[in-house]
Amino acid sequence: MNERQHFWLVRAELWGRWLENVLLSFLVIGLIALASIQIVMRNILSMGYPWTDSVVRLMVLWLALAGGMAASRDQKHIAIDIVTRALPPNGKRIADVIAHLFTALVTGLLAWHSFRFVRDSYVFGDALMTNWPAWVFQLILPFGFAVICYRYFLRALREIVRVRL
Amino acid sequence: MIFTAVLLFVFLLLGAPLFSVIAASAMLGFYHSEIDLSVMAIEFFGLSEMPILVAIPLFTFAGFILSESNSPQRLVRLSNALLGWFPGGLAIISLVSCALFTAFTGASGVTIIALGALLYPALSEAGYDERFNLGLITTSGSLGLLFAPSLPLILYGIVAGVSIDDLFLAGIFPGLLMVVMLGVYSVYKNRQTRVLRRVSSREIIAAIKESAWELPLPVLVLGGIYSGYFAVSEAAAVTALYVIFVEIIVLREISWRDLPRIIRESMVLVGAILMILGVSLASTNYMIDAGVPEKLFGIVNTYIDGQASFLLALLIFLLILGAILDIFSAIILVVPLILPVASQYNVHPVHLGIIFLATMELGYLTPPVGLNLFISSFRFERGIGEIFRATLPFFFLLLVAVLIITYWPQLSLFLLS
Repeated sequence: MNERQHFWLVRAELWGRWLENVLLSFLVIGLIALASIQIVMRNILSMGYPWTDSVVRLMVLWLALAGGMAASRDQKHIAIDIVTRALPPNGKRIADVIAHLFTALVTGLLAWHSFRFVRDSYVFGDALMTNWPAWVFQLILPFGFAVICYRYFLRALREIVRVRL
Repeated sequence: MIFTAVLLFVFLLLGAPLFSVIAASAMLGFYHSEIDLSVMAIEFFGLSEMPILVAIPLFTFAGFILSESNSPQRLVRLSNALLGWFPGGLAIISLVSCALFTAFTGASGVTIIALGALLYPALSEAGYDERFNLGLITTSGSLGLLFAPSLPLILYGIVAGVSIDDLFLAGIFPGLLMVVMLGVYSVYKNRQTRVLRRVSSREIIAAIKESAWELPLPVLVLGGIYSGYFAVSEAAAVTALYVIFVEIIVLREISWRDLPRIIRESMVLVGAILMILGVSLASTNYMIDAGVPEKLFGIVNTYIDGQASFLLALLIFLLILGAILDIFSAIILVVPLILPVASQYNVHPVHLGIIFLATMELGYLTPPVGLNLFISSFRFERGIGEIFRATLPFFFLLLVAVLIITYWPQLSLFLLS
């Protein structure tokens, strides 16, 4: 990798982390605000706004994937490490490469099939909350899985060069 | 079929994230049944159809804010003022404050880091035995699991489709049983230690004043939930809002600039749990379509006769499970499978939840994956083996508590209408 490419990769990492933080903060603060407004409306003004319910639930889905993206960047996904913890450094690297490539493959497939799901939803004009196009809200699925796939693929590459045969 | 299962297990052992292994098994299953794989996205999208789920990010966020603030110090000071005069009082303080703190922070190991760091030196200074202290703090790190609004209780309710309000009620007495048993042991063990100080009404008032902003929180949340005024998701929103208001605006212990970092840290945990939940919606549906629970019941039924022996087998299974899997993954993966089997043996789903969580609480203390052992070992710079030996008396006491909880269903169920 030449220096220029490396520079852009580092840039992309920094921007990616910043974007994740913005998305997560927006979702969490938004959730707290919306859920609090709901309480006031329901208990004090005794009226319900069905759309806030749907928005809150969709935001939780978005949080799942945004949090999932952040967890794959921070290496915080729940995994079993009894075996890898006991491996020597080179064995650990080989295990990492295999596990990361496997995860990249699985999330790649998830991204592709989610993309097909969203495309169908677009073609059929599915709607949420009466007249909002559903595909807009579903877009996070292929996007999130694709980012996680990219993350694990990159990490596998990074480990491959360090393996000693 | 067996070959692919073994292969997936190998990937799991090599460190592939649990969610990817579950997703792979579901996709293989659907592929063999010739079902279009976009079903994975449809099932995962089901996360947006669960109204109570919002409680998970909100409570987790509130818990992270609390543990970053100085509320652990205030909690310790207050319980010290109230209970410090008692022989073995400091041990009781540790148990009570850890249980309360864990209930609010969701048993993610944060209790040992936030409270253990305060209590451990205090215990040593008061002349408690080193080994006792290590065991006590490590054990207390997951003690409040059965009290509302702990995250595992909420997650069990969501996965099992059981009323979370009922679970919150059912957890009270089993949770108290555990605290009381450990408390009695601690007092007996330390009956010789000197009393730290006499009760001082001035100190009590000062401590109450200092905690004045946090004290309404348990009352607000628990009172709101138990009285039925708040739904669980609403209580979560109120908690998050209140915690932001108190720690950031009133007390200013956390600055706005820290907020994105805390949000990220808490949501990484939430994301990790929800990713597993999302792909498990698909794998669980596949397994139910394929009749796995019925087959499981068939197998169990040929070997196990009657409720009592089923419960014993369940306990052994959960102890092993808890030793290799964290509590959140265990709930998501295993509950949908054992729930139908348990109902065949007339085990109440709420009682099953309490048994499940109480046993998994022991999993925090058992190698090789016991989370508390690792956190304590890291925090107090001791070997895992030393920590493990220190927790053994506590472990066996909790095991007795779990047996009582399992074979005395009314302890969990009598508060339910």
